[in-house]
Amino acid sequence: MKFNSDEIASVLQQEIEQFETKIDVREVGTVLEVGDGIARVYGLSGVMAGEMVEFPSGAIGLAFNLEENSVGVIILGDYLSIEEGDEVKALGTLLSVPAGDAVVGRVLDPLGNPLDGKGPVQTDVTRPVEIIATGVAERQPVKQPLQTGIKAIDAMTPIGRGQRELVIGDRKTGKTAIAIDAILNQKGQDVKCFYIAIGQKDSAVAGVVDVLERYGAMEYTTVISAGASAPAPLQYVAPYAGTAMAEHFMFNGGHALVVYDDLSKQATAYRQMSLLMRRPPGREAYPGDVFYCHSRLLERSSKLSDALGGGSITSLPIIETLEGEVSAYIPTNVISITDGQIYVQPDLFFSGVRPAMNPGISVSRVGGDAQTKAMKKVAGGLRLQLAAFRALEAFAQLGTDLDPATQAELDRGYRMVELLKQPQYQPMSVAQQVISIYAGTNGYFDDVDVKEVQRCETEMLQYIKDTHGGLIDALTEKPELSDEIVEQMKAAIEDFKKIFK
Amino acid sequence: MSQSASHETVMDVGAEQLGKTYARALLGACQSDGSVEPVMEQLQQVCDDYLAQSSPLAAAFESPRVSVSEKSRVIDRVFGDWGHPNLIRFMKVMASRERLGYLRSVRRAAEALHDDAMGRVVAEVQTAVPMDDSLRNDVVSQLSGRLGKSVRLRESVDPDIIGGMIIRVGDTVFDSSVSGRIAKIGRAASAGFATQLVQQASRFGSDE
Repeated sequence: MKFNSDEIASVLQQEIEQFETKIDVREVGTVLEVGDGIARVYGLSGVMAGEMVEFPSGAIGLAFNLEENSVGVIILGDYLSIEEGDEVKALGTLLSVPAGDAVVGRVLDPLGNPLDGKGPVQTDVTRPVEIIATGVAERQPVKQPLQTGIKAIDAMTPIGRGQRELVIGDRKTGKTAIAIDAILNQKGQDVKCFYIAIGQKDSAVAGVVDVLERYGAMEYTTVISAGASAPAPLQYVAPYAGTAMAEHFMFNGGHALVVYDDLSKQATAYRQMSLLMRRPPGREAYPGDVFYCHSRLLERSSKLSDALGGGSITSLPIIETLEGEVSAYIPTNVISITDGQIYVQPDLFFSGVRPAMNPGISVSRVGGDAQTKAMKKVAGGLRLQLAAFRALEAFAQLGTDLDPATQAELDRGYRMVELLKQPQYQPMSVAQQVISIYAGTNGYFDDVDVKEVQRCETEMLQYIKDTHGGLIDALTEKPELSDEIVEQMKAAIEDFKKIFK
Repeated sequence: MSQSASHETVMDVGAEQLGKTYARALLGACQSDGSVEPVMEQLQQVCDDYLAQSSPLAAAFESPRVSVSEKSRVIDRVFGDWGHPNLIRFMKVMASRERLGYLRSVRRAAEALHDDAMGRVVAEVQTAVPMDDSLRNDVVSQLSGRLGKSVRLRESVDPDIIGGMIIRVGDTVFDSSVSGRIAKIGRAASAGFATQLVQQASRFGSDE
């Protein structure tokens, strides 16, 4: 390509002509010391907490600690180019990030800079990173379901739009997989998704982006990444920045799903910053306001009132536990903030139950309001039934002889567990889920070998789709279990059972 | 907390605090007999003409190995014949409390407190070439009018700013330098160019 120097010159000339010569008035300070992502600045006497400051290298900082003689600044960017004695300029504004349709489909850092090589984000819409969440009057109860496409979750711990549902579990138990499936299932649902990676390996984030691209989910998803190599201040602001981008859609009447992967690492980053700033350490050396750090973030997920457009942000925060220890500091904090938790367990995961959700201790405090009527009806007692089965199973291992009723209950339980297994990246529609669970709870799989249940389910759904398309359409359109629909469903399943072998 | 900072930007919070306390005491003592101005002047002289010029003297003041009585004798011998009695006494009090090394922090704090009390501000003015008297008067009168305080200038010359001047009052900087403006034009032009490039990349080149 040959460059046209005349055009370049004309653009530059235009810029110079439009340039206003005004005296630049700025409030400044001097860097006293810098390191580990923070700087101590002398001066800046009028700076306010949370105000943006700029270093000569162009790096942006936030006034984090206002002390008697100096200001503690967290540096959002490269702190290696900052030197002692550098002039720091107060910008008089709060940190804000680009928002709007321009961020959708992009991979960004927490400041909105592109990480995907697709050029700068072209938008004039920005939103402040830190805002106070909407109050009581601006909200309404959570009642509209957000389908994750995962049978076990949609049936037993349903998630509503505006809910915060924690995904908690040890490392390598499929926490991210649940969140990714939930994002994949939002295709065509008019829900914008935000995947916020905090302290993750960049290779893991690249893997997630690849999956999202392969399944066509990047069309409605933004990935915000502050990787493990990013300085702690960036990891700390990443969730707030992502939420700010999501809020643009919520306040314009749209819906958003935000995944924070994961908040334990954000707490660790915040602890690092706080300790470097010499804030007093508390339990597990976390600062005293680490609870507020998470509560003010998750409080921003909400379902707005109809007067404000009825938009919503649903969030799926992820917390990684160590050896299943949920009574550690950060897990208990986040459990108490969120509206329920999905607890994934390594022993279930390795015994092949995937998603490895433990139905006994997983809850959704919003409950049935966030389920379609059909799902509510078929899955009503499922969670308790499964929990009872687990207890019974433990008892049965003692080798005692069982009466036929107990044995039948056990057999049903084994088949339900099998039925709730679901491969990764294969979210299911509400109609499919309803039919599957209806068939399971009504004993249509009781005569199928346990190992065959999954195959039987897939084939059944395929058969119904091919021969009883009207049933799926009806359920999708109006997810209610009228007598007529139940009759149709029964007939379809029985038809299939005749040919299944 | 060390008695002297090796670099101007290395701030010793403890020394700063200590300087403020002693400065307040010194000014208070001098106010009662109206000797603030001469004492301030002499304190500046002690710091600029003696401590800054003679490192053995500064070292002796700082060193804990030099006894209090020895320090008092040094004070009498060096400053005795011209120093204001208030200042001599003040330095001896500092010596007896092993704080004599903080004299420069005291001087900084005392100047700030004194300026504040007198309604004065210090404006640091940076120019590319030395200022002449008419310009100086102009700057002082403009600044005094704007700030409503009497202005004392601290001048410095830096050819790197090319032209214009940079004035710093407290933590506020008024930058009308040519170098600052050039940097700003540069940023605006590159940002504007980037926008145009993204919007209409084809405009700037042709495939040949």
